[in-house]
This record gives sequence, structure tokens and C-alpha cells, in this order.
Amino acid sequence: MSVLLSVDNLTKKFGELTAVDACSFTVEKGSITALIGPNGSGKTTVFNLITGYLPSDSGKVEFAGTSIQGQSPGTLYRKGLTRTFQQARVFADLTVQENLVVAGGGSWKNLFGRRITADDRARASELLDEFKLSHVADLYASELSWGQRKLLEFASVLMSKPRLVLLDEPTAGVNPILIETMATHIRSYNAAGVTFLIVEHDMSFVMRVCDPVIVLDRGKTIAAGDPLTVQSDPRVLDAYLGD
Amino acid sequence: MHTLIQGVILGVLTGGVYALMASGQTLIFGVMKVVNLAQGAFVIASAYLAFTLFTQFGIDPLVAVLITTPLMFGIGVVGHWLFLRPLRREDATELSILITFALALLVEGILSITYHTTYRSINTSYANKAFDIGGFSVSAVRLYGFIVSCALLVLLYVILQKTRFGRAIRATVQNPQSATLLGVDSNRVKAYGFGLGIATAAASGSIYGLLFPFNSGSHYDLISRLLSVVVLGGLGSIGGAVLAGVIIGVVSSVAAVTWSPTWSEMTFFVVLLLVLLIRPQGMFGRVERGAL
Amino acid sequence: MKLSKEGASPFFTRIGLARGGVFIVALIVMPQLFPQHWIWNMMFFTVLYAAMSVSWNLIGGFAGYPSLGHAAFFGIGAYAMAAIFKSTHLLTNGWQPFFIMPLIGLGCAILALPIGLIAMRTRADVFAIVTITLLFVAQTLGYNLKSLTGGAQGAGLSRAPFRLDIFEQPFYFAAVSLLLLAMGIAYFITRTKLGMALTSIRADEDKARGVGVRTTAVKVMAFAVSVGITGMAGGIWAYYLGFIYPQFAFDPLITIAIVLMTFLGGRATVWGPVLGAAILMPAQQLLAYYVGGSQIYLIAYASIFLLIMLLLPRGILPTVLSKRRLASLAKQGNMSGISSTPAITGGSNS
Ligand SMILES: Nc1ncnc2c1ncn2[C@@H]1O[C@H](COP(=O)(O)OP(=O)(O)OP(=O)(O)O)[C@@H](O)[C@H]1O
Ligand SMILES: [Mg+2]
Repeated sequence: MSVLLSVDNLTKKFGELTAVDACSFTVEKGSITALIGPNGSGKTTVFNLITGYLPSDSGKVEFAGTSIQGQSPGTLYRKGLTRTFQQARVFADLTVQENLVVAGGGSWKNLFGRRITADDRARASELLDEFKLSHVADLYASELSWGQRKLLEFASVLMSKPRLVLLDEPTAGVNPILIETMATHIRSYNAAGVTFLIVEHDMSFVMRVCDPVIVLDRGKTIAAGDPLTVQSDPRVLDAYLGD
Repeated sequence: MHTLIQGVILGVLTGGVYALMASGQTLIFGVMKVVNLAQGAFVIASAYLAFTLFTQFGIDPLVAVLITTPLMFGIGVVGHWLFLRPLRREDATELSILITFALALLVEGILSITYHTTYRSINTSYANKAFDIGGFSVSAVRLYGFIVSCALLVLLYVILQKTRFGRAIRATVQNPQSATLLGVDSNRVKAYGFGLGIATAAASGSIYGLLFPFNSGSHYDLISRLLSVVVLGGLGSIGGAVLAGVIIGVVSSVAAVTWSPTWSEMTFFVVLLLVLLIRPQGMFGRVERGAL
Repeated sequence: MKLSKEGASPFFTRIGLARGGVFIVALIVMPQLFPQHWIWNMMFFTVLYAAMSVSWNLIGGFAGYPSLGHAAFFGIGAYAMAAIFKSTHLLTNGWQPFFIMPLIGLGCAILALPIGLIAMRTRADVFAIVTITLLFVAQTLGYNLKSLTGGAQGAGLSRAPFRLDIFEQPFYFAAVSLLLLAMGIAYFITRTKLGMALTSIRADEDKARGVGVRTTAVKVMAFAVSVGITGMAGGIWAYYLGFIYPQFAFDPLITIAIVLMTFLGGRATVWGPVLGAAILMPAQQLLAYYVGGSQIYLIAYASIFLLIMLLLPRGILPTVLSKRRLASLAKQGNMSGISSTPAITGGSNS
């Protein structure tokens, strides 16, 4: 397998605090990689740095073999690098269906075309069916539950046919049945060729779905490998049990 | 050369007053993320108040600060409670801008009915006095105004650095969420923060009234200056606002003596656009991105 | 919201066409029924302000960028008109200025591009700061560029050679055309992906940029179109009055009026601003008739605005529409999908 994303010596400081500290890891193409670590260890910040939402202080990020340093989230999105947020961000004033369509991208010319084309509708309804959101397709996103918003955000990043999807705590605040759905979707899209990098606190979810696992502590990668090895690594236990 | 130095002196003295007004403006932004477009209107309202206190009761405008400041603080707290606190929706930023704009027009309307629209000025006994300092003439009102402004800025600094209330405000400016977690009552901090911001407007209003003739419409003039100052300083940074106040005071005063007074009004806008073009976060502002 | 399930979303709906048709007929017929001059005058101002409110809504409502500087472009349009048709210039054909109008609009739109590009780089608050400063700058220029504007003494325009008994009519119909243009653009936006892009910008701009929405282009375009229409309104206004002063051409009252109309009727809707203007403009004219004095408007507008923000922040139309929508969803038994979770903070998250 080849490397799809590589992060090298990435560093980010917020004033005194070094949130990400010379962090390095790689994500293999076709994998479902987990990024775990205690609260505040810098996982979300790493996501922000990779996806261009925050500028890094130093370090390199390569996606599909080319440097993506300093590129905007929009550019990266068009290159197939998409993400979700820890607190799902959906467009509250758009309907569920429109949330998908707007995330589907499109050319300049499309901007002046119909709000929803037959093609948009077909693509969206496929995802809506899959994610069991069809019955709420015409509700505004502000009317959804938290769990549904998480699902909607996940579904919407898939609209653009991404190569790498970064999920920030996809299961947080989601009810157990939906968590299973989530796992199924991740596996089936992975089988269809999408690579995942997932931040997750739910260890049983990580154990079931992800391989390999990367562990972050105070902004540094302290371990990486298959779930079982990582789980028994003393440094990881230390990090979680704290000092 | 002489006129240039004279211009710089004048600019520093005037800039001190802008610094005071702008520190309140930027404080309000820092605490509440609200661009208070009514700041200028409150300055003018306080200038009128000082005018009335002077003409009716003979109270010196610089002494009147002791009366107007607490009064405006109260008005600020009530105004926050009435108009800004109810905004909880996701578009609070946008709505608060419009609300403070409406507030500014309301104040303007009330002032123009009470005092009519003729220009007023406060003619104290020392209004035309000037000192000769090393060959440069420095008018007494400007010097006194500058000194009082500096004193009030120091007072503001002490309040923010040394009191519990000040610490709560600074914590809120830096990180509203963790401030709440640390037990800071965010509504109260916002209300008092807004009050404090308006109070600085009151104090600077007295001084403004001494320095310039004003009418109810003067707040437009003022608000665009103030906004340029806070953007240059960096929205939310009080130190930045003070420095920017002095810088802009000097630039426009130099432009006035070397070029033309009318066009010096334009320097504010030019500075504003340049800052936004080159360094949108201002001198000391933080880059805020919606990343979570 | 139409709950359609098949095919592309339509450009025109039958009910929409019918509504538009009735509206146009009403605009033409109504003033004929009451042919007094003051009615024509009132209708003229109502329609002119409706056009400006609809155009403000494009950027202030749909995109969520509250411009406070529209009055600057109104004034620029007015003075452009005054500069082209000076009072010394005799008009043989009163229609010429109306044909120049689109050029004035284009000029304003082009002027707005660099301003928009700079002011919209960061967020809505900076945009408001720049636009209110722009208004002040424009006003100062209006007073000081005496060779161009005549300063505080004002500027005269060539007199329109229309028959006195129907003097208002050409202006009224010019304003009607402008309103229809503005509404047409607003309607077009709601029916195309432009509208979705603008709404996503309002809801969460960073996220929108992150999913590839071309935010800068879309919002700068909306701003340019918006002030272009406002500039044209200023041009018509100047020609109608025949004599203009900086104090009225660059009047913050214009801004607050169109913002208030938009908020009252409902932001981000095609009809809301029209409704708002139809309520407020006649009210203002009556107030002027009975009370006079523009300080009163200032107080009246500002207090009504504050009241609306507190009591009816979404405006009339959206409030009514969402009641209807919830009722129809309930009837379809679709309520199960609606959670009671309040809307989250969509925008930046401090
Ligand atoms: N924009 C910011 N400004 C200042 N500090 C920040 C910012 N974003 C994150 N931090 C700090 O950086 C550290 C790492 O935060 P981050 O959100 O990346 O952690 P995390 O691993 O995602 O935690 P969690 O599991 O709670 O989501 C924390 O101490 C946080 O307070
Ligand atoms: Mg996190």
C-alpha cells in the first residue's frame, strides 16, 4: 500500500501552549486509521492544520505525494480531502437535501443553474437513503437532532467523491443504533476506495473499525500500530491514566 | 519643519482622546464580540451633558466626568440588558451591529430634538489659553484633555489588571468558553463590560466637547475615526487601540497642517483600507478562524 | 417550501407566476385609481424604497453581510445623475436620463468590487465597519468636492420636460422597472445555486468555503449587484427632485429605512422587503404630513427597528411561512423527524 497523507514534524503553538508538537505520522491509502489521545492532546488541531483551517508554525503535510502546505480548505476539498467537525457543522438555514447539494461542489456555470438539478437530486437521494435521512430530506438542518446532524455532515462530505475523509469524533452524542450505522458506512465506503482518518474516544468503536491506530499525547505521536499492540503499549496507558 | 512638529504635538494630544474613546470601543468588542456603532453617539451625548452641566450649573467639563461617567455606565448596563442580551440566535453578531446602529440614530434623534442641530462648543475660562513649550504653542484644553485621558486610561488599566472584575473581563476576552467554565458569570461580565466601554465614551465626551464644536450629527465623523482606530489596533486589543489612537491622531493632524484639513478627514478611511488590505487583524489583533 | 420529490427544482412555479402577474397589474392599476399627485408621489417613494430594500436584502439578508453604506451608493448615483444632466443642460426628451440609469448602476457596481474585495475578506463586522465609514467619506466628499457636487449649496439638474398633470408618472414607472429588476434578480437567486451559496455563507462561511463554495466571488457579486441597483435608485431620485443636497443624498436615514423595511417584511425572502416598504413608506409619508421634521423619523425609525429586533426578529413573512410549514408537516405526520433541539450556533465558534 502507498502513503496517501503524510504529516511530518507538524507544530502549532497557541501563545504559550504547544498544541501540536513536532507531530509525524502517515496514513496509508485505503486504510481506516484512528487518531486517538486524551482530551486536549491536539487531535482536532492536527485536523485543522491538515485541512487548512489553521496555519501551522512549522512542519510539512503531503497529500497524494504533493505538498499541501498553506492551501485553503476549499482547494483541498476540491482535491478530495474532506473533513467533518467535532461539533457537527451543517448549514442550519438549508434543508437536509440542500446541505448535500451545496457540498457537492460544482462549476461556475452551475452557480447560475437550477438550485437542485435532477442529477443533484439523484446523487443526494442515494446518500439520503443510505444514511436513513430520506424522511427528513425537506426539513431544515436546524430541525435535526445532534445525531442526525452528525450523519448529515458525514453524508455531505461524501457528496464530492473524496479520497480522504477526516472524521472528528463521528460517534460523539450519537445514539447506539446510529453508531452501528456509522460503522457500516465507514466500512462500505472504505471498501469502495475511500481512506479514513478518524478521531474517536469510543475505544470499542476504534477496536472494531480502525486499523492502524495512532496515539497522540500533548501534541506528540507516542505510538502507532495495530489496535491490540497499541492498546497494550505502556506509554499509551501512561498517557491515558495520566500523571 | 516647525509646523510639522507642531502638527505632531497636536496629533499626540488629540490622539490621546481618541485612544480613550477607542479603548472603550475595543473593550466592548473584546468582551462581547459586538462592534458598537453607538460609541460615537454616546461620546456626543456626553459632550452635550457636559455642555448642559457647564452652562446651567457652571461645572467644569473635566469635573463633570465624575458625574457623566457613572451615569453612562448605568445607561450602558441597561442598554445591554434591554437590547443586546436578548440576542441569542446564531446571527447575533450581525444583529448587534444593526442594533447599535439604530441606537446611535436614536440617540442622535433625541439629541437633535433636545439641543437642535446648531453647533455647540464649551467655552471655559481657559478655552483660549495656550502654553508656550520650547517654542511650540500648546493649547490648554488640549493639554488638560490629554492629561485627563491618560489618567483615565491608567485607571482603566488598573481596573482591568488589578480587580477581580477586571480579571473576569480579561478571561472572557481571551477565551469565553473557559471563562464560563471557571465560574465567570458571562452575562454579568458582558453587561459591566459594555457599561465600562460606554463609561469611557462618557469621559472622553467631556474632553471632546472642550476640544471641538459638535452637533448631534458629529457622531458619524467620530465613529468612522474610532472604527479606523480599533481596526488598526486590532479589534479587541486595548493596548493596540491606544497606540493606534495616537498614530491616527498624528497622521491626520500632520495631513491637516501639511496638506488640507478637509482631506485629512480622508486619512482615516485610507488607513482603514490599507490595514484591511495588508494586515486585516490589525497591529495586535488575533487571527480568528472558525475552526473547531 | 415545496416538498417536491422528482426532477430538477423548477425555475417558475404556476403560483409564483400568478403572484408576479397580479403584482405587476396592481402596480400599474393602483395609482390610476387614485390619480392625486400626493398618491403618485407616495407610490413613487414606496416603490423606490422597495427596490432598494430588495437590493439590500441580496447582501444583507441572503448573505448575512449587513451593509450600512448603501446610502453612499444612493448618493453617488444621485450625484452622477446630477453631473451628467446639469441644470444648464436642456432636455428635449425627458427619457434620456432613464436610459443613462443602467450605466450609473454599472458604475456603482464596478466601484463596489474593490471595496467588497477588501471589506469582505474577514467577517461581517469588519464589513459593517468599512461600509459605515464609506458612508461618512462619501458624505464628506459630497460637501467638499464643490466643483462636482456644488457642496452644501446643492446641485441642480435639468428639469424633466413632462406635462405637469402627469409629472410623477414617468418616474413612478422607472421606479417600478427598477423594483421588478431587483425582484427578478432576487427571485433568480432563490431559484439557482447562487441562493444556496449565499445562504451557506450566512449560516457558516468558513464551513462553506471548506466545502468548495466560491464564497468570495459570490458575495462580492451580490454586493456589486445590490449597490448597483441602489445607485440607480439614487439617480431616479435626483432626477425626480431636480435639486439635491449632500445631506439628503448621503443620509444614514436611507440606510436605516431600507434595513428596517427588510427586517420588518423578512430577510432573505423575495417579497419581504416589498411588504416592509409597503407598510413603512406610506407611514413615513403620513408622519411627515402630520408632524414634519426629519428628527422625528430618526427616532421613529430607530425605535421601531429596536422593537422589531426584539419582538419579531425574523420579520413578518418568515414567521407566517414557518407557521404554515410546521402545520403542513404536522398534517403529513412528519413531525417525528423534528427534534426539539434548538438551532445550533452555525457561524464562527469563538
Ligand atoms: N484556537 C485555539 N486557540 C487557543 N487554544 C486552542 C485553540 N484550539 C485548541 N486550543 C488548545 O489546544 C489544545 C489541544 O486542543 P484540541 O482541540 O486539538 O484537542 P483534542 O485532542 O481535539 O481534544 P478533545 O478530545 O477534547 O476534542 C487544548 O489545550 C486547547 O485548549
Ligand atoms: Mg477535539
